[in-house]
Amino acid sequence: MLSMKKVKFRLNPVLMKELKVKMRSWKAAILIGIYNLVLTLLTIFITKISMDEYSFTVSTDVIIGIYTFMAVMQFGLVTLISPALTAGAISGEREKQTLDILLSTTMKHRSIIVGKLLASLSHMLLLVVSSLPTFSIIFLYGAIGVKELLQLFLFYIVTALTFGSIGIFFSTFFKKSTAANVLSYAVIVFLFLGTILISLFYLELVLLPRTNYSYNGTFWLFYLNPAIALVSLLATQFAEGLGGVFPGLFLSGKQSGIQLWHINMLVNMIISCLLIYFSARKLNPAKKKWFS
Amino acid sequence: MLRIENLCKNYGKFRAVNNLNLQIPKGEIFGFVGPNGAGKTTTMKIICGLLSATSGKVFIDGVNVVDKPRALKSKIGYMPDFFGVYDDLKVTEYLEFYASIYNITGENRKKVCNDLLELVDLTDKRDFYVDSLSRGMKQRLCLARSLVHNPDYLVLDEPASGMDPRARIEMKEILRTLKDMGKTIMISSHILPELSEICTSLVIIEKGQAVMSGTVEEIMSKVYHSKTIRIKVLDKIDETIRLLQEYPDVISVENKGSNIVEASFKGDDVFLSELLVILIQNKIPVVSFNQPDGNLEDIFMKVTATLEEK
Repeated sequence: MLSMKKVKFRLNPVLMKELKVKMRSWKAAILIGIYNLVLTLLTIFITKISMDEYSFTVSTDVIIGIYTFMAVMQFGLVTLISPALTAGAISGEREKQTLDILLSTTMKHRSIIVGKLLASLSHMLLLVVSSLPTFSIIFLYGAIGVKELLQLFLFYIVTALTFGSIGIFFSTFFKKSTAANVLSYAVIVFLFLGTILISLFYLELVLLPRTNYSYNGTFWLFYLNPAIALVSLLATQFAEGLGGVFPGLFLSGKQSGIQLWHINMLVNMIISCLLIYFSARKLNPAKKKWFS
Repeated sequence: MLRIENLCKNYGKFRAVNNLNLQIPKGEIFGFVGPNGAGKTTTMKIICGLLSATSGKVFIDGVNVVDKPRALKSKIGYMPDFFGVYDDLKVTEYLEFYASIYNITGENRKKVCNDLLELVDLTDKRDFYVDSLSRGMKQRLCLARSLVHNPDYLVLDEPASGMDPRARIEMKEILRTLKDMGKTIMISSHILPELSEICTSLVIIEKGQAVMSGTVEEIMSKVYHSKTIRIKVLDKIDETIRLLQEYPDVISVENKGSNIVEASFKGDDVFLSELLVILIQNKIPVVSFNQPDGNLEDIFMKVTATLEEK
């Protein structure tokens, strides 16, 4: 007879403490309220001006446009806010002189990192989830279903975790939150712009001449680009292929099979795990050196 | 027992701890004395697993701190010299947060927190926000926090710094209570007279090295090679000085003013009783006759001056 060990489920104490403190003040509720108010008013405004003045109907294209606008706006929020929320997570503890006490406890360094990451992103994730009702206006017109909405929100969460992990990583390595902040945004800018620029340069100067300008796949660096991944996701949802967007980037719009945004999410999850691992290692002063 | 063997710590080219060897038996209050930059905080951080040593080892109950860091962290309570607190947390929430880290749950958690608040006399501040407490209260709260998991060892870096005299006395009483509970306490401080009152043994460290260790009396006898007696009289101070100077085994006599004289001597308690009898027989109006507590500040200045000369 196999003996069963009792597995105790324990919520991350750092996460619980931070959530308690964050939700304590009126700021959280006011922020959620204002964000959803602005989002809702914008959505209503766009719907109203797009409505046919005689039949009071809205065409599918308009609905897709509204959905795309909301998706991009929300994505902008995730992109801009995630690194800022996490870049001060560990360096802030260091600046407040609370980090040493935390590290002297029996809490695993990985748990500290994960707790701070989730706590820092919790506010932003709460904003995203709280906007679900506003997004559900789309369901009235039937253009987008629940599956597509869930895909979009999953994409937001994975992207937020990745950008948050970048912030936490620099926060662990740098003593000042300012330095961590700057470097986090530098990496984000690289992911958005740098990947495109480098890819275009390489394609134009090396790959396309070598293949006699017959290269019609997707260059690997584009898979890292979050904006391109979002476009790929939306193209898949609308089943509208964009074809060859520019040399080295091909978006099929197919709804089956592995798409660019799937690979982007997978790569992001791997990057997040690696960044969390290296952050936890950096936090551990007694870590064994790999080369010694 | 806490044992440090040949501990070295370099910051680049600067050697902060230089072949330090220490043993702290269980149940002691061990004083760690040294000037700023002597290596006290670095040593304490290495013991608590917050810094890695360049070389050497630290053992707690026979186990190397590097081999089982989490297991040994459950045995150590650490109080740093400079620490911050979390904004927007109440005193009880602050303690409960750390209790949750150590897996103390449910009713047991509440009981532990209540008991600790009572120990450090902060029960009436339980619902106050931590950042609204005074400096001394925060120090006491931090001490309570370091006790939340009932550790066997306490490593306290300047626990009384910034406290007013009353708060320091209260802190001393708490430390005595903890010693009576069987805790082993390693404490560093610049307030040397108070260390000498509560420490069972101590080490003087400078430039990363232990220069002298033992009980206060042992260190005194190593440094001064003699003992001191302080005598206060109502009057006849000159006659008192003359009698002491004539007495064999009295090495030197010093008039401290206010009818107080200090004499250094070689001898034991029998010698002291005979000396008192001589003074009384000569009708000297003795008010007090006692050996002053070891003046740790003098010892510290003497020992570190010797090292400077070298």
